[in-house]
Amino acid sequence: MRVVHYLNQFQAGVGGEDAASTPPQVHDELVGPSRLLARLLEPGGEQSGDAHEVVASISCGDDHAASDPGVMTEVLRLAREVGAEMIVAGPAFGSGRYGLACGRLVAGAAAEGMPAIAGMHPDNPGVDQAGGAVVVAAGASTREMRPSMERLAAAALKVAAGEPVTAEDGRVGRIPRRTTTVEQPAAVRAVDLALARLAGDRDATEIPAGLFDVVSPAGPVEDPAEATIALVTEGALVPAGNPDRLEAARATRWVHYPLDGVTALAAGDYESVHGGFSPAAANADPHRILPLDVARELEEQGRIGALHHEYLATAGNGTAVANARRFGVEWAARLHGSGVQAAILTAT
Amino acid sequence: MDTTTPATGDAPSSLLVHAVEQVVLGDRTAYRGGQLTVGVEQAHDALADPALSSVRVHATNPGDPVRIVKLLDVVEPRTKGPGRGGVFPGFLAPPRPDRPRQTHVLRGAAVMAAGALPRNQEGIVDMSGPAAEVSPYAATSNVVVEFARTDDASWEDVDVALRRGLLRLAVHLADAAAEADPDDVEEWAPPARPGPGDLPRVGVVTNLQTQGSFKDVYVYGRSFATSLPTLIDPFEVDDGAIVGGQFGHPGLRNSTYVHQNHPVVAELRRRHGHDLSFAGLVICPEPVDQHAKDHISAHAARLCIAAGFDAAVVTKEGGGNADADASLKMDRLEDAGIAAVGMFAEFAGPDGTGPPLVFPPRRATAMVSTGNYDERLQLPAMERTLGGDRVDIADADADAAMELPVATIHGSLNLLGGGRLRAQEEAA
Repeated sequence: MRVVHYLNQFQAGVGGEDAASTPPQVHDELVGPSRLLARLLEPGGEQSGDAHEVVASISCGDDHAASDPGVMTEVLRLAREVGAEMIVAGPAFGSGRYGLACGRLVAGAAAEGMPAIAGMHPDNPGVDQAGGAVVVAAGASTREMRPSMERLAAAALKVAAGEPVTAEDGRVGRIPRRTTTVEQPAAVRAVDLALARLAGDRDATEIPAGLFDVVSPAGPVEDPAEATIALVTEGALVPAGNPDRLEAARATRWVHYPLDGVTALAAGDYESVHGGFSPAAANADPHRILPLDVARELEEQGRIGALHHEYLATAGNGTAVANARRFGVEWAARLHGSGVQAAILTAT
Repeated sequence: MDTTTPATGDAPSSLLVHAVEQVVLGDRTAYRGGQLTVGVEQAHDALADPALSSVRVHATNPGDPVRIVKLLDVVEPRTKGPGRGGVFPGFLAPPRPDRPRQTHVLRGAAVMAAGALPRNQEGIVDMSGPAAEVSPYAATSNVVVEFARTDDASWEDVDVALRRGLLRLAVHLADAAAEADPDDVEEWAPPARPGPGDLPRVGVVTNLQTQGSFKDVYVYGRSFATSLPTLIDPFEVDDGAIVGGQFGHPGLRNSTYVHQNHPVVAELRRRHGHDLSFAGLVICPEPVDQHAKDHISAHAARLCIAAGFDAAVVTKEGGGNADADASLKMDRLEDAGIAAVGMFAEFAGPDGTGPPLVFPPRRATAMVSTGNYDERLQLPAMERTLGGDRVDIADADADAAMELPVATIHGSLNLLGGGRLRAQEEAA
């Protein structure tokens, strides 16, 4: 395979922090650790039996690379121009900006069906950016270049061969769960599992507990009479006609609409486009999805400081948990930035 | 073949199985040599209802280049014999307890309605191609009912008309086999009473998604939404005591057909007396309110204790909301010393890297995966379509090639355990 290696400005020898804004560039010849990678992958080389050639080094300054996810789209385009069939990125070690770039690059390549792998320290935030692409552990700093690159190259050979890369290979991050067809129907496996659990096996499961988020509720608002409160909902309440075409199921987006000067949500002006329940009652009185009526009363009585000037909405119906978590982060950032102290989330 | 053994007590029940290899349309309904002929006019009579201005009946068999869209419920043809009533108790006749404990089954056949109905989350069955491999309804010979609404009828009336019509049609078709010698006779003892014994007592707790109009499940002809959990004789469920009216996520929808053939019940019956003792079937509503979810879970656990369960398989119906019902019950059961195993489809996102459950159990950690809801499936173009001309979720003509999440394929993530899909780590 024709392999393109991505590295940051520092490893490429372009410069230090002073060169962190350098845009992506394809180097005339292999630079820095790309040469070590090439030796590890070359035919008859230290690890490889197959023909893999590192055809180019592409580097980018750390600030530039981390500033915008679109930069890695550009790097991927450059890699394709020089004939890339596979991407190897890093090792980024503990460098957050470099790791972010590597994670985004391999995620983008994998999404296009190109084999890709990155190396970085397990705590690097870039691990979370890699989506379904493979990331293997590297040391914390460049002092561990040699063992880290050896591990990356060994795993790269497996990726190139279409073989699974496992924790034994140093894989880190969330390993994608793929749907496969197995021999026994779920009912048979469930009865087997029940008997195993009865017999004392407390660990047996097909869905490991470590995969879940546990969310701790925030503490109470100290003085609601001083607080700005927001109304948010996953009940997909939108202005009639659904102007922003919010999805009824499997939402990938959320929307926001003004409440400034709005004292009531009249039937006919708003509708729920949620696909998971009958919205007849919600459409007859939209306050039953978004309790603006009660909130305005509380505001009037001074029991809350103020009602936030807009509401946020999505459809919670078969939503991928990762998307739901992203909505939560984005909502929190938007509300926090607007000086909101608490939100009432109505669920369906 | 006639018995009038009372349905109480420990009498065994039997299913007289007639194999269907092919279904065709014809002038008169008949069953011979594995071929089921559907008399078109007779079928129309069975479906007649003031809420329906017209119906069209189609036949399609496994391997056909046919795509069924906007599928609603699916029913397996069963009967006690012509004119006798007794199946789908509470719907087609009062739920009389002295019904014969013998039921004719047209195994391999299914009756289904397909067409636009508000609140139906749209889904697909391909009778051939890659999607056929993940739907149980691609392996059956199907009688597909298309319909049109009478102008002044409400959609609620249409829903009721289709449900009753499908049940009547299912009985009508099975009646044709009632005089034929069965290909197989399955005899099942009822669940074993609590008492001393060497084998572990394993039961099943089945949640029914009961969340209002177009999202409801019927037991003995009535919505189960306001009921408490109850033990139910599995033979009553064989006879169609549970009828689906729940039109949520197609991959996570338990049709009448899968209740009639409850896969966990089948497995517990098969193993009864070998490595376990079948302890019983508990059915529960899935309410929307958190306090009700807690209350129903506690009540279900008390029933399992009273019935002497040592272990229970807990099944759910529906999306993330229903994860809570299953998880709360699993924890309640474990707290009561009953080993609990949950069956879940995962919501791990298209790339399979997200957290898989919306609401996981805390203490009960044994779970079986029925696949990832969001996994993408490529569907090829198909020659012929039934149920409609468009697939709105894909914004495509119904016969076009399209990419869809596996959850839009009917029965794909079978939450009663009939499927062989499983999500697991890529490396495994």
